[in-house]
Amino acid sequence: MARICFPSGLITALRLILGMLFILSGGEKLLDLNYFELVIAEYQILPSLLIPAVALLVSLCELLCGIMLVINLFSRISSSVMLCMMAIFIAAMTYNVMRGLEHECGCFEFLSQWYGLKEEIGIGPIVRDILFFILLLPIALQSSNRIPWKKGHELK
Amino acid sequence: MPGKPLLRTLLTAVILLASVSPALSPLHAAAPSALAKEESGELTLAATKAIFDTHSAYFVDARSEYAYYKLHIKGATSLSSSRFDEQYPDFRKKQPLETPIVVYCADSNCGKARQVAKKLRKNGYRNVRVFSGGLVEWSQAGFPMEG
Repeated sequence: MARICFPSGLITALRLILGMLFILSGGEKLLDLNYFELVIAEYQILPSLLIPAVALLVSLCELLCGIMLVINLFSRISSSVMLCMMAIFIAAMTYNVMRGLEHECGCFEFLSQWYGLKEEIGIGPIVRDILFFILLLPIALQSSNRIPWKKGHELK
Repeated sequence: MPGKPLLRTLLTAVILLASVSPALSPLHAAAPSALAKEESGELTLAATKAIFDTHSAYFVDARSEYAYYKLHIKGATSLSSSRFDEQYPDFRKKQPLETPIVVYCADSNCGKARQVAKKLRKNGYRNVRVFSGGLVEWSQAGFPMEG
């Protein structure tokens, strides 16, 4: 079967850029977890009891996957986890846009703080997350789960 | 000369009338809109500040909880229009139906305050007023906020 081959330079660049973004995003959520919980509550999808746990899980996942992508440790697993999360974010935002709800996206709060970009759910954040999903695909398909400092060690 | 005091009196009367008349005085330039607000049951900034200073009403923030968490009028409580049903039972336990309430949201274009006020009235709260200027007008005036 023919396999699409991406240049390793491209994979490295994607890993570093996306990894840094997820570190920033997960880090800021962990710094103010209460705020992120309130944003998740505004999605009106999860029961109130689950919200604190989901907020912590999402923030930790973003931070850890970001770190692992940057240091190229278990990149395939990390990018696959992020792919799943992106799919969930896209579905949740699309659902709420269709319901006519208006609220913060809870995606990249630092973008609104640094650049004044609006972070409300809508077509913009949905397209951005679809773009991230597409950019994560080459990493999930082609990068390895090797441990960089141990030659020959790879998780199957 | 008898004409002079008459002229002076007339001039004084004109000046006094000009300062009082809404059409002529800059002091009253905003009066028609303020009057319209009062007639529709909505509070002006000055009236809201007077209520705030005398602690004569309970302030309710109708914006989303995360927006309230970041910044709100000092002492206000959150009762968002989007999650009213979840937040209301707790609110009801703390506030008796006789409590005078002032509801606000972001600004005059935001309809959340009116929605929450309507729901509160429907639930039996008799003294509910809307501060339509909202947090934008309040913060521009430099009045107390927290978050």
